[in-house]
Amino acid sequence: MHARGVVKTFGSGRASRRVLDGVDLDVPPGELLALVGRSGSGKSTLLHLLGGLDRADSGTIEVAGVTLTGESEATLTRLRRRSVGFVFQSFHLLPELDGLENVLLPARLAGGNGTSRARRLISELELDEASRRLPDTLSGGEQQRLAIARALVNDPRLVLADEPTGNLDAESAAVVLRLLRGIADEGRAVVLVTHDREAASIADRVLELREGRLAA
Amino acid sequence: MRAVLIHALGRLRTRPGRALLAAGGIFAAAAMLGAGTTVAYSLATGFDRAADAADLADVVARFEPLSLSSVQARTHALPNVESVSFRLELAGTHIHIGERWNGHAKLQGVRDGRRGYAIVAGRDLSGAPLEIVVERGLAREWGLGPGSFLEAGLTVFRVVGVAVTPDTVAFPLANGPRLYAPYETVRELAGAAPGTVNLALLWASDPARLDVTLAQARAASFGVEQLRFVTRDGIETLLGQAAGIVIALLVAFSLVALATAGLMLAASSAAEVQRRLSAIGLLRTVGASPRQVTAAYALEAALVAAPAGALGLAAGTLLVTGPSTRLLEALNELSPGASLLAPLALCLVGIVSVVAGAAALPTWRAASRPALASLAGADLVGTSRRSPLPAGTLGLGLRLAVSRPLRTAGTAIVLASSVSVILLMLALASLLGRLQSDPETVGKRYRIEVSAPPAVANELRRLPGVAGAQPRFEVQVADSFSLGQSFSVIAFGGEHTRYEAPPLVAGRRIRSDDEVEVGVGLADALSLSPGSTLAVLVPSGRELRFRVAGTVSALQDEGRVAYVRPARLLAAEPFLSSTIAVLLDPGASREAVEGEILQAGYYPAPVRGATVRDRGFLRVLAALLQTVALVNGLVCLYVLVQMLALTAQERRRALGIVRALGGSRWQVTRLLAGGALAVAALASVGGFALQRFVVAPAAADLAASYVSLPLQASAMQALLVAAALVVLAFAASTWVARGVAREPVVRALSAE
Repeated sequence: MHARGVVKTFGSGRASRRVLDGVDLDVPPGELLALVGRSGSGKSTLLHLLGGLDRADSGTIEVAGVTLTGESEATLTRLRRRSVGFVFQSFHLLPELDGLENVLLPARLAGGNGTSRARRLISELELDEASRRLPDTLSGGEQQRLAIARALVNDPRLVLADEPTGNLDAESAAVVLRLLRGIADEGRAVVLVTHDREAASIADRVLELREGRLAA
Repeated sequence: MRAVLIHALGRLRTRPGRALLAAGGIFAAAAMLGAGTTVAYSLATGFDRAADAADLADVVARFEPLSLSSVQARTHALPNVESVSFRLELAGTHIHIGERWNGHAKLQGVRDGRRGYAIVAGRDLSGAPLEIVVERGLAREWGLGPGSFLEAGLTVFRVVGVAVTPDTVAFPLANGPRLYAPYETVRELAGAAPGTVNLALLWASDPARLDVTLAQARAASFGVEQLRFVTRDGIETLLGQAAGIVIALLVAFSLVALATAGLMLAASSAAEVQRRLSAIGLLRTVGASPRQVTAAYALEAALVAAPAGALGLAAGTLLVTGPSTRLLEALNELSPGASLLAPLALCLVGIVSVVAGAAALPTWRAASRPALASLAGADLVGTSRRSPLPAGTLGLGLRLAVSRPLRTAGTAIVLASSVSVILLMLALASLLGRLQSDPETVGKRYRIEVSAPPAVANELRRLPGVAGAQPRFEVQVADSFSLGQSFSVIAFGGEHTRYEAPPLVAGRRIRSDDEVEVGVGLADALSLSPGSTLAVLVPSGRELRFRVAGTVSALQDEGRVAYVRPARLLAAEPFLSSTIAVLLDPGASREAVEGEILQAGYYPAPVRGATVRDRGFLRVLAALLQTVALVNGLVCLYVLVQMLALTAQERRRALGIVRALGGSRWQVTRLLAGGALAVAALASVGGFALQRFVVAPAAADLAASYVSLPLQASAMQALLVAAALVVLAFAASTWVARGVAREPVVRALSAE
């Protein structure tokens, strides 16, 4: 994943605020990068741009060989489907689907089956029981582990985790962080957004977003 | 309370977009309701309004020309008569102007006294000899007005006024228009002796006791030939039958519109309250009572509903004023004018109440919960249940729909109602088509009618393709007990059921010359049932009595028909004219047999289901039904779009997750279509059942209680409507998915 001179501004006129002001970033496969910074510093915004959920005002972003700048929504959709896995702070599991179905959702959207891979991930993450239940009957830690399994079901090259431990207790948070570490160790690029210095300690590299720019 | 109210009103100012969106939905629903109410009210009250304006007589008596003194002697002796006007009517008068002409006009010579018609343009007759008042239907069709000239019976008249008489349908639905001219002018045209009259208009002192007056009139009618009475109630019934089915459909349509509006408003209110849960929790935390919160939200909703509802009602009314006025004119009735304001005001009250109630109910539920739960934004609908449904995009959409079971069921019910109305339209349209072309629809099994003497039947029977031929006699008679009804008596040379077999409703078929089968319309009018006696006065003045063997469901002449064997009828009326009814062999070509008959030297005519005059009215009905069906189709689309838009609004985050995980616009469309198709499937099945078992029998009864109209939709029609619903479901899904795709995924993900 490579980003060069990424700029993102919210609002217009006097009310406009440049959240990202020329961000340069490279994350090679196998690296776990932690992005830290104060609330509102633009960490999540950068993550959304990297994952093709939002568009930069200027600059270039390349993920898994695809340049996102100026690409159509269909291209961004394909990229999200095949190459990017998301883990959100509030899990974002669909309440109508049980654990297994939630994990399978990206595979089904991609037109594949993915059941065997989903079951293997569920087994590896010790979610056999949770996979048969609906999200609102699960603990936060179980939900986040299901979300991680969902992020991995299409075997993406980039995993983006936005405050994945923000809603978890210390024990569950530790489990989730260990999992993310393992994902990077398997050869994927992982970008972890957090404001928790302890969470950042598992990263290979920590960058702080300050006044729209990244600093070591 | 004031603080809560200020908060509610503040939301209207700060979120004008949402208020406008809600107002748009209310406007659309109110427009549908306004349209339905306007037409239904106009038709339901049109006759009384026109009859009152015209001072319509309670009884119209027609008879062979008699001297005025002779008739007056009889009418003066009648009880319960307030006033009487006499006229000389010339039926079959030729009229023309330029290239337009008509040979069926009824020119009435008007004497002094009450008129029985309402002048709607120009003035009444002044007594000058060459003035004429024309009926509104003729004025509209031929472009006549005060000052125009019209030739009637080779005399040129100047039109001084335009009148409405609601005693029958208007020209051109009626085959001839009515014209009113000075009595002496008409008498001279007719070459009648001075004082000759053939029509009397009677106004009763007490219309409720009209039956006594009619009984006395019959007793005093000796020497009066061809006496026929038509009562005001009878006219209302006839016109009511014509308009009844339209009214029934429009009332059903209005109810569908109201249910649609209520359901959608309730659902959007519930969604709105869910969005505002934290605000409600905050208000409760700072001390507002549930009642105060509810009242403020209801008031806010009412403030949006009142202007939107009023504008919608006005728009709907304006939209249908033109067609409804044309329909009223066709029925010779008057538009409601300002009296329509009362039902429209009631509609507005209803709309505002529904909207305020729809806002109040979920608000009350939310405000009655612990304030902390509301502050946390807890879901009002509870937790999801495990579902056996598939989990693909279509299946996920299905699950989203199932997670709101009440809304899904409600939407399905509203759609099913629309489907049932549309199926009724289709069934009616196909029935109307068959009535025009297929004689079997009205119970006629013979396909060809030949104008020839009865003896020719033997010759026709020998022609190839002919399965049978019998003389058919039909004569207009009067009921000699009350003389208030005229009807047709039909007789065939052989067994009539082989040629004309209206379904038997009660009793049995005739077995002897003394028996009669009567239509349900006649049985209702004369209170006849199997075993009772029907006494008929034939044109020669002789009376025949028959014992009623059974009642039949006949469409001809609104069921006022009777079937007998010909022997006694021919004995009483030896010179009764006849036609020959020709039955075809199975598979025989009607055209080929007609050719054979022509070669034999006779003139065949194809048998149709309805008369020419009926067909004119059927065309008007069919045109109206097409309009209502189109609007109803749009209602279905509106309901589906509303439901999906609400789902998309409520489940923004879920749709955002699907898009974040790589779901394309097509997959979002499929997801939304899952819910829409589920509702469409439920509505198709429910609508078919509703139409078959409730709507069709009710509409058939309202339209023509004297006959069993086959208004049940066919399986093919049901499949067609279901397919159309599927198309609409995909169209609605595509439309809503387009809006969903426009929103950035990030914003959808952050939606609460």
